[in-house]
Amino acid sequence: MLVHLQGPWSPFIGRLSLHQIPYDNPIIVGAFAFAVAVGIALFAGVTYTGSWRYLWREWLPSVDHKKIGVMYILVGLVMMFRGFIDAVMIRTQQLMAVGPQSAGHLEALHGYIPPFHFDQIYSSHGTIMLIFAATPILVGLMNIVVPLQIGARDMAYPYLNALGLWLTTAGAALVMVSLYLGEFSHDGWIGLTPLTELPYSPGVGVDYWLWAVQIGSVGTTLGAVNIIATIIKMRAPGMKWLRMPVFTWCAMATNLIVISAFPVLAGALFLLTLDRYLGTHFYTAALGGNVMLYTDLFWVWGHPEVYFLVLPAFGIMSEIIPTFSKKPLFGYTTMVLAALGISGVSWSVWLHHFFVMGAGPNVVAFFSMSSMAVGIFTGVKVFNWAFTMYRGRLRFDSPMLWAIGALSFLLIGGLTGMMLAMPPIDYQVHNSVFLIAHFHSWLMTISFAALGAITYWFPKVFGFKLDEATGKRVVWFWIAGAVLVFTPMYILGFMGMTRRLDYVAHPSWYPLLVAEQVGIGLFCVAAYYQFKQLYVSIRDRKHNRAEADAWGSTRTLEWMTHSPVPFYNFAVTPQIHARDEWAWRKERGLTNLMPDRFQDIHMPKDTYVPAVLGALAFVFGFGMVWRIWWLGALALLAIIGVVIWRSFHRDTGYVIPADEVERMERGYLEHAPEGATEEVPVGEPAPGVLASSQAPSRQGAGS
Amino acid sequence: MKADRKYRRIARLLLISPVLLLGGCSTPHFWLIHPKGPVAGAELHFMILDVVVMLGIILPTAALLVWFLWRYRESRPRGKYDGHWASSTRIEAVMWGIPLLAVGLLSYFSFVGIHEVNPYNPGAVTADKKIGTHADPLEVDVISTDWQWVFVYPAQHIATLNRLVVPVNTPVHFRLTSATVTNSFFIPQLVGQIYAMPGMRTKQTMLVQDTGTYRGFSATLSGPGFSWMRFQTKALPSRAFDKWVAKVKGRQNDLTYAGFNRVAQPTINLNHTVKYYARVQKGLFQHVIQEVKQGKVFSTRMGMTSHM
Repeated sequence: MLVHLQGPWSPFIGRLSLHQIPYDNPIIVGAFAFAVAVGIALFAGVTYTGSWRYLWREWLPSVDHKKIGVMYILVGLVMMFRGFIDAVMIRTQQLMAVGPQSAGHLEALHGYIPPFHFDQIYSSHGTIMLIFAATPILVGLMNIVVPLQIGARDMAYPYLNALGLWLTTAGAALVMVSLYLGEFSHDGWIGLTPLTELPYSPGVGVDYWLWAVQIGSVGTTLGAVNIIATIIKMRAPGMKWLRMPVFTWCAMATNLIVISAFPVLAGALFLLTLDRYLGTHFYTAALGGNVMLYTDLFWVWGHPEVYFLVLPAFGIMSEIIPTFSKKPLFGYTTMVLAALGISGVSWSVWLHHFFVMGAGPNVVAFFSMSSMAVGIFTGVKVFNWAFTMYRGRLRFDSPMLWAIGALSFLLIGGLTGMMLAMPPIDYQVHNSVFLIAHFHSWLMTISFAALGAITYWFPKVFGFKLDEATGKRVVWFWIAGAVLVFTPMYILGFMGMTRRLDYVAHPSWYPLLVAEQVGIGLFCVAAYYQFKQLYVSIRDRKHNRAEADAWGSTRTLEWMTHSPVPFYNFAVTPQIHARDEWAWRKERGLTNLMPDRFQDIHMPKDTYVPAVLGALAFVFGFGMVWRIWWLGALALLAIIGVVIWRSFHRDTGYVIPADEVERMERGYLEHAPEGATEEVPVGEPAPGVLASSQAPSRQGAGS
Repeated sequence: MKADRKYRRIARLLLISPVLLLGGCSTPHFWLIHPKGPVAGAELHFMILDVVVMLGIILPTAALLVWFLWRYRESRPRGKYDGHWASSTRIEAVMWGIPLLAVGLLSYFSFVGIHEVNPYNPGAVTADKKIGTHADPLEVDVISTDWQWVFVYPAQHIATLNRLVVPVNTPVHFRLTSATVTNSFFIPQLVGQIYAMPGMRTKQTMLVQDTGTYRGFSATLSGPGFSWMRFQTKALPSRAFDKWVAKVKGRQNDLTYAGFNRVAQPTINLNHTVKYYARVQKGLFQHVIQEVKQGKVFSTRMGMTSHM
């Protein structure tokens, strides 16, 4: 051992021991019981419906970008629920631990959670919400939508796509295991050095955080490579760069951020890993280490990561608002430029996360100004959305409500962001709950957009719409909850309340904490309606069947194929004539979904290899966390072996014959809900404008 | 009708609620808007400038949005519909122009502001003639430990634990470091934050205008004792400060290098312990920095808070 470890270690089980199971903590035992109950219910449900075979054969090995997207979103939603429960616990602790007289329960002096445990809760809240909830949900959405929007059959690298999913899932699983075995990091989601060094964090918590984030971010990086390659190489004929839908542009901008920024995170975490495992001194205060180095490296990734989350949200809003305004997006070119501008500026703002570290005034001023520059691009986008509504006809279906909510929180987050970008203000509110309220305003924008997107594209993937009535309740309770939680938080910031307090010394803050608690209660109601919406929607799916153009006024390519989308996406690769291709065709009455000629389709084969690699990555992470060297080494060797073995597979695709495609297409049309398409006289295909690249639909395509 | 009236009453209440809420700001609990020193004062000044400029843009934008949402709703549309209108060079020029101008203006404020409150040489303290203090600056060395604050007064050869005492109308020059992990030194009503980092030295400058007691604390997570890592700052008239120094010197206890190592053992300051040291071993601040650089750590025990 190159480092001094507190507690026992044995070569066979590393640092594992029975003491590491927190069975004496009633909260964790309760959480475990809940997880077991949900697990049993799921197991019983799957067994009852006889779906094991279906899940095992259709989903686990799938390389279909839509199924992978759905699984990404499922992982994200499950983790979001976990992160939400963390949030409820944080709020409750702060409410219960106000002033020296406040009572203590369950080993805590005040409130019900002692400091080490409380620190783990907000650290996991942050890590989960950003890296294992928001990121997978947005990556999942891009996965589903981008290939459809550019008229591709699948991603450029379907196998890599599945690998990204299973690595992300492995990371998320490590976070979940830390709840019941050992502990999680108590040093914040950003992992403050030198607090994360072994002397100050002697347990396995930081190691869990390190390996979970490391493995998860490898998955995200692979996904980004894939999406960029897909956008560059897989666009349908005629889809020039400036005909791409804005969501795809935002996906492009955001993944450019990923491939440039995530490797920095990997490097930063790797050096910390060396410090903790080999006793090096990269981030220690002693022996030539540099505490500030980690902070710099982390935020060189961390700030772009924020824009990595917000750009897809902007893209989503740029799709939803035109659809429900019955108008094209105002200022398309401006919108694209602003998205690329944001991703460009994102690399030059990181220092604003630590203005108070003592850099000279001119350095600080530079980063202050570059941070403000983000406001220019964001402001332009807001105006663009406003003028998209101008002279439109606005319908307020729930995706539109989500988008409007996102826009409102964006204005608040923008205002407070411009405050934080100014160092004299930042010196006062750095690390205060004002900052927390600020970035949660942005995260509200992101989650509103994400939930709006799920509602918006749900019928495209599943063929039926989510229930509108409960959906609207979710929106309103979510907005009300957010207002009630974050307004008091902004005010508390002005009162000097700092973040991460597990004991609140000032009783004068109590009323506002009560207001926040009411707000989180409203969030709980929203969560209830969310579950109810899912239940009601699935129960009534027959009544909510969606046609290809599920919202009636959609504009982009993905609405031009059936709902639910066939696994091959488009029967024939479409020829693109305009920016909003589907709107363009609708105006010309070219809405027939039946191509006049079918072709063979080449599709990738499903494979279990990505899931196996994900499982091995989990085992590797687990072995490293507990310092069970033989297990980690075996898993790593197995990963390398499987990757090499897979590289010899040449036969990774198959062909669907044209007849088969035609048969399936006719099946889809017969089962489509009424009014989905025009009547198609069987045996006599209508002029198939939808269709092939050689289709006679070029008239008027010159524009 | 009745319901209508009720809604109106609620609407009226909602309309005046910001005013009612603003009334709350007059209480001294809002530390950030009750500065008692020029640095914190300058910080508030730039905050107000920033908010005014930003609201000048955001409020009209929000109004525009609401108006569009109302005017072009499909259920009862008022404005005309133009399903193709998607660009206008003039509007787009304004669209880029307004944020550009605003950001330009705010960047200027930011540049001026940072020099006003620069921790190493704040214009608000050094250049402001109005304050016109001729008193010699007071030097204070701040050492954060897990999870307490040690304040060393090198010129007076005294030290305190978890209590800062300063004279009013005298510039206070802080040098800061940490014996363990990074903390953020913050006294909201007097001066903004600066990190105290292990093995390193940062600086901060402040001046207190009013006598009184002010809250200070660490604003960056430093471990399980972080929530209790608070100290009071007492600002005394100069003469009272001298008297206080003399009183501390009359005490018996010393703070030696070895004594510091005992103080710096991980301690959660649950009981708000305050201590005064009559003598300090010379060069303690530099000594702590050197020790940390050479590998001295004050380790945290596993699970030290699980039964606190």
